[in-house]
Amino acid sequence: MEDFKKAILEHAEGSKKTKFYFKDLEKAVKKTYPDAKSRMIKKAATELVNEGTLIYYSTGSSTMYGLKGRGITEDH
Amino acid sequence: MAFEPKNEQKELKYEELRIYTDEELNNYTEEELKNFKFKHDVPDLDDLEKGPWPSFVSDAKQEALHRHKLADDRLMTAKDSVDDLMGALQLSFDDGETHWKHGGIVGVFGYGGGVIGRYSDVPEKFPGVTHFHTMRVNQTSSKFYDTDFLRSLADLWEYRGSGILNMHGSTGDIVFLGTTTDQLEPIFYDLTHELGVDLGGSGSNLRTPSCCVGKARCEYACIDTQDLCYEMTQFYQDELHRPMFPYKFKFKFDGCPNGCVASIARSDMSFIGTWRDDIRIDQEAVKAYIAGESAPNAGAHGGRDWGKFDIQKEVIDLCPTNCMCYEDGELKIDNSECTRCMHCINVMPKALRPGKDTGVTILCGAKAPILEGAQMATMIVPFMKAEAPYDNIKELIEKVWDWWMEEGKNRERLGELIQRFSLPRFLDIMELPPAPQMVKEPRSNPYIFWKEEDVKGGWNRDINDYRSRHKR
Amino acid sequence: MALSTGKLGSYNPDKPQEGRETDLGPRHFWQYFPPVIQNNYGKWAYHDILEPGIIVHVSETGDKVFTVRCGGARFMSSELIREVCEVADKHCDGYVRFTTRNNIEFMTDSSDKLENLKQDLQSRKFVSGSYKFPIGGTGAGVTNIVHTQGYIHCHTPATDASSMVKAVMDEVFGHFTGMELPAKVRISMACCLNMCGAVHCSDIALLGYHRKPPIVDHEVIDAICEIPLAVSSCPVGAISPAKTEDGKKTVKIKDERCMFCGNCYTMCPALPLSDKEGDGVTILAGGKLSNRISMPKFSKVVVPWVPNNFPRFPEVVENVKKILNAYANDANKYERLGDWAERIGWEKYFEKCDIPFTEHLIDDYRLAYDTFRTSTQFKFTQAAWDVSKAAGGIE
Repeated sequence: MEDFKKAILEHAEGSKKTKFYFKDLEKAVKKTYPDAKSRMIKKAATELVNEGTLIYYSTGSSTMYGLKGRGITEDH
Repeated sequence: MAFEPKNEQKELKYEELRIYTDEELNNYTEEELKNFKFKHDVPDLDDLEKGPWPSFVSDAKQEALHRHKLADDRLMTAKDSVDDLMGALQLSFDDGETHWKHGGIVGVFGYGGGVIGRYSDVPEKFPGVTHFHTMRVNQTSSKFYDTDFLRSLADLWEYRGSGILNMHGSTGDIVFLGTTTDQLEPIFYDLTHELGVDLGGSGSNLRTPSCCVGKARCEYACIDTQDLCYEMTQFYQDELHRPMFPYKFKFKFDGCPNGCVASIARSDMSFIGTWRDDIRIDQEAVKAYIAGESAPNAGAHGGRDWGKFDIQKEVIDLCPTNCMCYEDGELKIDNSECTRCMHCINVMPKALRPGKDTGVTILCGAKAPILEGAQMATMIVPFMKAEAPYDNIKELIEKVWDWWMEEGKNRERLGELIQRFSLPRFLDIMELPPAPQMVKEPRSNPYIFWKEEDVKGGWNRDINDYRSRHKR
Repeated sequence: MALSTGKLGSYNPDKPQEGRETDLGPRHFWQYFPPVIQNNYGKWAYHDILEPGIIVHVSETGDKVFTVRCGGARFMSSELIREVCEVADKHCDGYVRFTTRNNIEFMTDSSDKLENLKQDLQSRKFVSGSYKFPIGGTGAGVTNIVHTQGYIHCHTPATDASSMVKAVMDEVFGHFTGMELPAKVRISMACCLNMCGAVHCSDIALLGYHRKPPIVDHEVIDAICEIPLAVSSCPVGAISPAKTEDGKKTVKIKDERCMFCGNCYTMCPALPLSDKEGDGVTILAGGKLSNRISMPKFSKVVVPWVPNNFPRFPEVVENVKKILNAYANDANKYERLGDWAERIGWEKYFEKCDIPFTEHLIDDYRLAYDTFRTSTQFKFTQAAWDVSKAAGGIE
């Protein structure tokens, strides 16, 4: 789990983008851990949200993950 | 039979929960309401107060006046938010353009859906709706309520939001229209702790499932739609609140092929009650229809004189499979030819009833038009028993999800993925045999993409062997 | 147990996780069934519509439940919810139900209580005179219009919803309170082609439509949007990254590819697409959801565009009435609007509805060919003679 979280964060912090679809995070984890199960990756992302490192970004129709403090994060 | 909820249900008493006193709730007179004007000039909205259909403008006036007359500290959001909402609507009429902006960050902590950020792009004119976020509250199965719950909800929403809501939104949720960011968590706290109710889904989540009235008040219901809907909503709470899907995903549960909750057009997985034995016939009741003692179609055509009921013309000739006849004073149905369209049952509900061996037909892939055009759901599983705890249905759902999460592109609905991969490949992945029931007709082009393993000897051939029979 | 008061109520922002309750789901349904529903769950034998809006369901036990169906505006105030509760408390032991189509259903278990309930509901009017709880919406009539948010609360609508629904329902009110049509007619309304309301299988669908691609606000786009998000939001790939003349990051839009969905505006407020002249209403007809007699089918575009004429949408109303009248006069009993159109042929449909057929009604998107007529079987209408004249050879 901690490994997955690290892989997610490394990907997010190393990317020019600041918002990610779940699939982007999934791909990033699977690059290092090809056997990772989607549900476990989701649990890792959920933990990062609960810890306050990641935030949800929802358009209403679809939802992305963002790094707290990067890109559009302010309530405008 | 009775159903027991999975979680303990707090009994709600409005008298204990309420925020407003009776005096506060009855704080204006009819005379005041008659003379009331919104603080903005809204000529088009005034026009919408005329006519017999319930006027949302007149309704908004009640709320606006009521808010005006509450003490300042008895509302946590702008007192004139309803005035400003109506003013913004008039401005949109004038401009022919909306004045709402979208905002994606707001939500309650730890949930990826249920709240949709909304901001006015003319906040200086309408400060009361500067922030005006939507919250979706998960409705009860089939939308039955009692007044303790509804009154409590009304107090909560008036106190912490605009007081304006939708009963209900398109997906099925109760929709709270308009609150400020700082009120989202307090509202969520009270919804969960005091009212024992949760937010619904939005974004790339499982959307709030919904169902028809089912066995609660319909003789056609072949399955316990409420229970199935409740169970699936509870069982998949994590999927409903925390996104992991490529896009939205909807379940809807219809009790019979009449499809009152429109699952066939509106859900990625549509569950429609059906039966596999024979239509039950009460021959005496059939005779009563023929004799004109019972109104056909439960009286649905009572507004016009359509003449005497004619079973041949109105039932037998309209049967899409011609599987019925009336002979020797008896209605006969060849059930093996019946496609369960419900017409005969709808016309003679006192005489005909669905069979008793019931279950669901499962269809996949319906969606609204973006991008490949609207799709209706495709029949995938002709019949499946639907009995609590519905493990067979859950297993199928999770198989579909696993594949969609693996292969679906961002913002690709299940129906589009099936199109992209092809129906035969979807069936293969679902480990289901192909059946003629899944198509309206076989393909008319012969462009079958044969796989190597389908063809005897495979594709790897020796040119020399070929040349031994054919000169260059 | 009481709802909290004060700015933050019971919520403690310093300890947001403390005692947090999540994943509760909805309230359980069973407690909200009135006794007559609980006692007869799964035992209903048949139903009868006694008069428009009044349904009796009869159980195998002999019990009856009388339902009064009332139109609701979907948009509802807490004040009106309280009035619904007042009625429910007075006549229905405190229970009430809402339907998928935004109707309100009051139920009672005796015909005596039914009369009082009916009278009470009919007597309740807004001060301006419109009914609060019009009774109807059953059987072969027009029931409530399901709709989306429109200008009330949406950021991509091409029209308004609540006002259009009010305008149409005022004009077809007699079909809500009556049952004289050949079959039920389901009207649905969505404000843009994203169709939150999934109107695509309705007898009559009213659909807001944008006709102008977004405008790019080059000045601020890089500051207020994340450009990659805006680019990836476009379902047809019409948006690509670009630079302005003075080197600022922005996007460019292939206007001819735009299908006017507004997804980019959702992601990026620097790409607005609403426009007074561009936006309007498309009308579709002949769809259905039920499997009765014929299979479910999509609605077809019958009026490509009419303007947004707020607040009463006379062009929309006129077309809806034309379609309803032609259908009412011509269709057979039990025949849904789409089945009628298919039986008489769409060429006759346009003639009978007195709606012009224009080039925009011929499909030119994907799979268009499936809708072309590849047969000599057709009916002659004026439209056919006009073609023949244009082709030459007849006067």
